[in-house]
Amino acid sequence: MLAIAARRLVSMLLIMFVISVLLFLFFEGDKLNLAARVLGPYSPMTGRLAWLEHNGYNRPLMTRYLTWIYGFMRGDWNQSAQFDAPVFDFLLPRLKNTAILGACVFVLTVAISLVLGVFSGIAEASKRDRAITVISVLTTSVPEFASATFLVAIFVYWLDWLPGSSSFNNGFSWREMILPVATLVIYNFGYYTRMTRASMAEVMNSQYIRTAVLKGLPYRQVIIRHALRNALIAPFTVMILQLNYLLSGVVVTEVFFAYDGYGKALYDAAMFGDVYLILAGAMIAVVAAVVSQFISDVGYTQLNPRIRFS
Amino acid sequence: MSDTEHKLIGTLKQQLAEKTIGRRDFLRFATLLGLGAPAAYEFANRIDGGIAPAAYADDLPKGGIIRIAQRVPKLDSPHTFSWIYDSNCVRQVCGYLTRTGADNITRPDLASSWEVSDDLKTWTFHMNPKATWHKGGAFTAEHAAWNIKHCLDPAVGSSVIGLMKGYMLKDVDTGKLDDKGAKVMSTELWDANAIEVKDPSTLVLHLQEPQVAVPEHFFHYPFLMLDPAENGVFAMGSNGTGSFEMTVLEVGRKCEFKRIADRPGQVDELHFVDLGDNPSAVAAALASKQVDGIFQGNIEQYDIYKGMAHTDIHSIVTAQTAVARMRSDSKPFDNPAVRKAVRLATDCEKTLQIAHKGVGSAAEHHHVAPVHPDYFKLPPMPRDVEGAKKLLADAGFKDGIDIEINCKPDPSWEQAAVEAMAEQWKEAGIRAKINVLPSNKFWEVWETVPFGFTEWTHRPLGFMVLALAYRTDVPWNESAYSNKEFDDLLTKAEGTVDVKARSEILGKLEKIMQEDGPIAQPLWRSVFAAYDKRVKGFNIHPTLYIFGEDLAIEKA
Repeated sequence: MLAIAARRLVSMLLIMFVISVLLFLFFEGDKLNLAARVLGPYSPMTGRLAWLEHNGYNRPLMTRYLTWIYGFMRGDWNQSAQFDAPVFDFLLPRLKNTAILGACVFVLTVAISLVLGVFSGIAEASKRDRAITVISVLTTSVPEFASATFLVAIFVYWLDWLPGSSSFNNGFSWREMILPVATLVIYNFGYYTRMTRASMAEVMNSQYIRTAVLKGLPYRQVIIRHALRNALIAPFTVMILQLNYLLSGVVVTEVFFAYDGYGKALYDAAMFGDVYLILAGAMIAVVAAVVSQFISDVGYTQLNPRIRFS
Repeated sequence: MSDTEHKLIGTLKQQLAEKTIGRRDFLRFATLLGLGAPAAYEFANRIDGGIAPAAYADDLPKGGIIRIAQRVPKLDSPHTFSWIYDSNCVRQVCGYLTRTGADNITRPDLASSWEVSDDLKTWTFHMNPKATWHKGGAFTAEHAAWNIKHCLDPAVGSSVIGLMKGYMLKDVDTGKLDDKGAKVMSTELWDANAIEVKDPSTLVLHLQEPQVAVPEHFFHYPFLMLDPAENGVFAMGSNGTGSFEMTVLEVGRKCEFKRIADRPGQVDELHFVDLGDNPSAVAAALASKQVDGIFQGNIEQYDIYKGMAHTDIHSIVTAQTAVARMRSDSKPFDNPAVRKAVRLATDCEKTLQIAHKGVGSAAEHHHVAPVHPDYFKLPPMPRDVEGAKKLLADAGFKDGIDIEINCKPDPSWEQAAVEAMAEQWKEAGIRAKINVLPSNKFWEVWETVPFGFTEWTHRPLGFMVLALAYRTDVPWNESAYSNKEFDDLLTKAEGTVDVKARSEILGKLEKIMQEDGPIAQPLWRSVFAAYDKRVKGFNIHPTLYIFGEDLAIEKA
């Protein structure tokens, strides 16, 4: 196991290195425009060149890159040109917000999709199964910005039950979390429901389940003690991968509800060309992707003894 | 200074009495020339029996917190501000020398009065003796002079330079070359004594050219009066002359101000809340009462705002617009016939309906609006598809032309307008491919693309935009348009105070724009904001300025 972890760590570092180099090169050509955006479109060329010089953007590329890597590893993530704050201090609360959003969505999605998936999987081709499948497909095919608009139209404009934007101006508020979480859960649960359903249906058709039923075990016990833990292996691995999506994929919902999370920060930074913020964000995204894949893979081997890393 | 008023004020009074100019124009120009607003109103009322605006400050509720949804960008360099919303933040703390109200009349602010010489080249401003800094001390002419010099310093890069270059600056060769081998030019004051501090309460400006709009230029949004000791940097704890001090600043999230006791105003606190780029979030926030007002409403959500029972929509006719601008140094737009053909193929009224729900008025392709006092009404230039086709055929384009127009998707009406116009142009054989660029990318290339749809904000006087955009070689001349006859007429207009004479000169300029000019302009837009009915004292300004000391809010 340790060997696998070490190999994964090495490949993660390699990916981070390649991506950071590519991003650096990409935004190098854009730095004059970055100065223009910071100083304003009316700033004279002399002012922009002076700003670049003053903020160290004119040093040789290698020097800048190595300085950045050294600082990054020590926790100094440089300065955001757009938000005029150290990148680390700026990103931390944003990550916290996205983590809260992600956690709520994750818990709810897992709960809903497991329950629905199991119920439809054990009664394959029944009316219940068909109904749940149709709902899952419908909700997954409506994109987040559309379902967000519908929810806002109903709960904010028509019923006036919920606040329309979620920027936490008065500190953390559960009421402001409801709509963004609802949008994401509605969009997500369908996929995991159907995965769980497929896995459950396959397990229910296997020999040992038939044996257990013929043995005389009560149906509930068959499900809970034997079928469930085998059926949940595949959905589990897929759901851990959802963690990656919950970090970077929620940007549409975040921007729609003005939720100050990591995705919105990265979106604003990309639009602005804010190099150091984008780099930090990209590194975090890579770490999140690799770690979640690792957990998923290792977890799978632990749950399913028939699978080994070779 | 002199006790007599400017000699041209006498001419204005005469014209008002003879009814050759309207009351509004009299008020505007008389106040620009230094006649105090109350005196101007008195005189105008005596002539036409109107009523001066009533003072109502005592009736407004006191106390409370107002929250307004508006972007909060970096605020550290006010003299280089490029957007209105950054100036709205610092405006609560620092003041300007003058204030141009929603009625386009310029009134005193930190400068209590001013006079100008007969040749319009020497301006004398008197500082308001009651104006004081938060940290103590009076606001003096020294402070004003420092701010003006700072704004005109090329190293700072303020847009004030573009505004004042003609009469305050001269070009100077720095001796350096840029990476393409061209000379790097810079500017400096045309005369070392152009900004003269006569005594602590008197500032004199000596101009190299006559200019009638100097007090209006002092209200340009980056022209905030900062404390010289802070060297042009605005931050928490910065000094100011306004009614508020800044208590919280989180760029991209919020900006909060607290009123200083004994300074004018009603509310206790003013908060700006940044809800990002998405206009739906802003509308939803107002609907669920998370904010009490919004900076600007997007036309697409107009119906949503109308449907909110607890808010009022404030809208105002402005000279805000966007122009389809053709570069006259790029084929096929170097041929004036082609440019005129594009204008003839545009249906302005229809574009207004489609893109902006009819909220505004159709434009006439010459960038001078009916709200401008010096607007000259030309005979209408209706859509003429056959005429456009003929012009193209005569220019050698029998089969029409294939062109590409660049625009940005935010605000959404711009893209809608471009799409509407492209459909209209097709009928005349002008096949335009639409290239939608993200806003940040658009602002990188807005001046250099051969054909682009550029937004222009409201300016109070008709010739101001003409001078900023179409005079030869000025920084914002995005079309490389250069017409000597146009430049000469423009200079003449800038030195003419008499409104009627000026509007006749503008009529000639407008005709040149319609025949030869580089733009096709579909509409003037009215802007709107929405505020909770509990908010009192809000008057929407055509440039969307927000004055915290005017606002009040009832208890919920």
